[in-house]
Amino acid sequence: MSDPTSPAVTADVQDFVELCVPLTGFSEFDLYATGMAERYLETVRQQVGPDRFAEFWAAWTAAVADGGGPQSLSPVHLEVARAVTYLWHTGAWPRLAPAAHAALRRQPANEEFVVAPEAYVEGLVWRTFHGHPGGAKPPGFGTWSVQPPPQSDILSLRQDLGLGELPFRAGLTAEVALDAVPGHLLPGLRAARYVPPSAVPTAAERPDTSRERA
Amino acid sequence: MTGTVGADEAVRRRYDVVVVGGGWAGSLLAKDLGERGWQVLVLEAGNGGAETWPGYLDSLSTFYSAVAKVPNSGYRRSVAAPFPDVLDLAPVRDPEPGEREYTANGYFVQNGRLPYGTDYLRELGGAAMHWLGAVPRMHPEDFATNERFGYGRDWPITAADLQPWYARAEFEIGVAGDAQGQRELGVVTDPDYVFPMHQIPASWIDRYCTGLDGTPILDEVADEQYPLKVHSLPQARNSTPNPDYRPGPYRPSSAVGLPNYGERCVGNASCVPICPVQAKSHPLRQQARFPRTVTTATRCVVTRVRLAGPTMGGRVSGVEFRAYTDPASPVGRSYVVEAGVVVLAAHAIENARLLLFSGLANGSDQVGRNLMDHPTVLNWALADERRGPVGPFRGPGHTSGWEVFRFGEGRRRRAPFRIEIGNWGWGWATGAPMSNVATALGVGGDRQGEIRPDGVFGPELRRLLGSTIGRQLQLQIAVEQSANPGNRVTLDRRHRDATGNLRPVLTYDLDPHTRSGVYAARLVAARIFQRLDATDWTNHAPRDGVPPLGHFTHTVDGTTLDLAYSGAGHGAGTHVMGSSPRDSVVDAFQRTWEHPNLYAVGCGSMPSIGTSNPTLTMLALALRSAEQIHQDLVLDRRPADVRPADEAEVPA
Repeated sequence: MSDPTSPAVTADVQDFVELCVPLTGFSEFDLYATGMAERYLETVRQQVGPDRFAEFWAAWTAAVADGGGPQSLSPVHLEVARAVTYLWHTGAWPRLAPAAHAALRRQPANEEFVVAPEAYVEGLVWRTFHGHPGGAKPPGFGTWSVQPPPQSDILSLRQDLGLGELPFRAGLTAEVALDAVPGHLLPGLRAARYVPPSAVPTAAERPDTSRERA
Repeated sequence: MTGTVGADEAVRRRYDVVVVGGGWAGSLLAKDLGERGWQVLVLEAGNGGAETWPGYLDSLSTFYSAVAKVPNSGYRRSVAAPFPDVLDLAPVRDPEPGEREYTANGYFVQNGRLPYGTDYLRELGGAAMHWLGAVPRMHPEDFATNERFGYGRDWPITAADLQPWYARAEFEIGVAGDAQGQRELGVVTDPDYVFPMHQIPASWIDRYCTGLDGTPILDEVADEQYPLKVHSLPQARNSTPNPDYRPGPYRPSSAVGLPNYGERCVGNASCVPICPVQAKSHPLRQQARFPRTVTTATRCVVTRVRLAGPTMGGRVSGVEFRAYTDPASPVGRSYVVEAGVVVLAAHAIENARLLLFSGLANGSDQVGRNLMDHPTVLNWALADERRGPVGPFRGPGHTSGWEVFRFGEGRRRRAPFRIEIGNWGWGWATGAPMSNVATALGVGGDRQGEIRPDGVFGPELRRLLGSTIGRQLQLQIAVEQSANPGNRVTLDRRHRDATGNLRPVLTYDLDPHTRSGVYAARLVAARIFQRLDATDWTNHAPRDGVPPLGHFTHTVDGTTLDLAYSGAGHGAGTHVMGSSPRDSVVDAFQRTWEHPNLYAVGCGSMPSIGTSNPTLTMLALALRSAEQIHQDLVLDRRPADVRPADEAEVPA
């Protein structure tokens, strides 16, 4: 008889969810609660290819086990890790860096798509700022007048998720200072409305306002 | 009456009125005339479906699945009745100096210096299915900008003439607002008036901005200091009924197809493109209340207005239309339907297209000219980190604005503008919050397509997103564009849609007065962000050789700025109203000067659009036209054509 406390999903899905915690910053409970875990695992396998996904997954498992985190992944695996995280946060599979798309020898078009209508609704990004998906889970009349709660701090996030000292960044020497967020981690202007979110350029460095005569 | 009929059934009768277009203006006007007992036929080019609850949920699901959640993303494209989409425009990389910086690849053919960045929707309910629901009245100044400030075209009527019609329109569509605030602005003049519903509550972002009340902001183009004050925006959105409303009590309308649902806004924060509970007003509500005298037929594309015989004094006899069954296939049958009065209510651009193709009403050569919109300049910033999150992506798209730049002598120097305090973060400008996830992770590669080295994950990602999304401020500033005969819709036999109808050819630009308004708006927004201690991330300069859509540079007093505008969806001016047939298409009742029983209603009649979202003014005008059509019909039918009392109510 199976353990009644374990989730009613395959071992693959359990493993997928467990190791998506350090990617997404959300607990296993939160990830299961989306109802999308199995669908996302299928999507990633399909998009990356089963063999390449297995290689990626082995690399990520090792990176978590040895404490290296994302920065110890190869560039192509790093891009896959980003895509998996993007999927959980937005419900959409992103457009990959063309170099990664080529290296993975992917057959599907390198285009962003929403996995399913309910995937959009279950995006985690909304919860990062105490929001709700636009067009779903409405909080009620007048709730938009209320001051949003403060940000949770990084220490308690790490503790709650049981993630210890793993560095959760690549190509950056330290945690991002929130009062001086660099432009390369922010979106810039979408030149046209058809540009999908994963292809929006980063912001130029903090714009020069000197042209303005104060 | 909810429900539509097919073309075969629709053409069986002769009608008193045929209305071309089942959007806002056509629906209000048809309901009004139907209630007076006239036999009315509404011909809608697009498909129906959203008037049933399962059909409406299908639109919601279509929106969820869309990667680009643009205004038309809840609605399927149609081959048989095509319509423009904001996705149709693309920027040109590394344009030569003086070359156009965009291409248009959709329904519109565009050959203007700048892109016309506005869409609409051919579907039962029209573009009102994706509108925001902002319904400010126009200011008395807006009706006489030429006389008062020396630019634009003046109206043959005044704001005072429209006040009772505004109030009626506000009842018909259900408006929530703060009448006292609107009186302060001078747009509501009745000292006792209240809106049917109390104002939609201000957002936390509005309150955050209210901290600047009383702060003077320099507009250097107008050369004037403007003291800020946040004003609540009247909205066609269900709120708490106001017990002081007369005649009361006011009961909010519920969703079409699901009674007692949607009687309050619940904060879905997706008014554009779709309100999941239908707390946002839309024309299907009017259609659900159509009396039996009104017949609605969908998938009927009107192709031509027919002139009655040469001895008929310019009167029209009815319309020709093509009916199709499958929106994906341009196959259909032709029909003719006759009516005592023909009303074009198909959108400013579609009305002009029909008049031009029919060769009617154009003695003034003004049909299709004076095409307008509200060029909208987006400004985005991150609020002060020390003061914490501001709560973006909550509530209706915008609930308040800074109104002081709309009025006064500054209009001589630059176009006026209305600052919308956005509630939906950087969504419009940057595609946030999804694009925040992408750029924080570093997915998608660098500009050479290589894999980026930098990015954050896990708790650090969650913290960064919480902060950089949670502090997003965006000011959408709608600038008045005045009538310019060079901005126009024309037809060209070489450009047809799949069914052979001629597509609109648009020529569009912004004149220096409007450009100065965009310039001033951008600098004012920068000053406001400074006062809020916010970090201004606005940047409209070309990136890697790609100019953003609507990009231009403008110089004032030797200072040049890169600027860009978006379309606001406010197409207007194309069958302009005036006091003389020499220089206008319709009279003050939106009746074409040359054809006494042909009306062209909608924003196309407006000689100016001020800085107000134009729907409410359009609806006030439509109700006023309905009254006039009723008078026309009564005159026309007396005494020869009195119908028996058992067939129709006697017109009131």
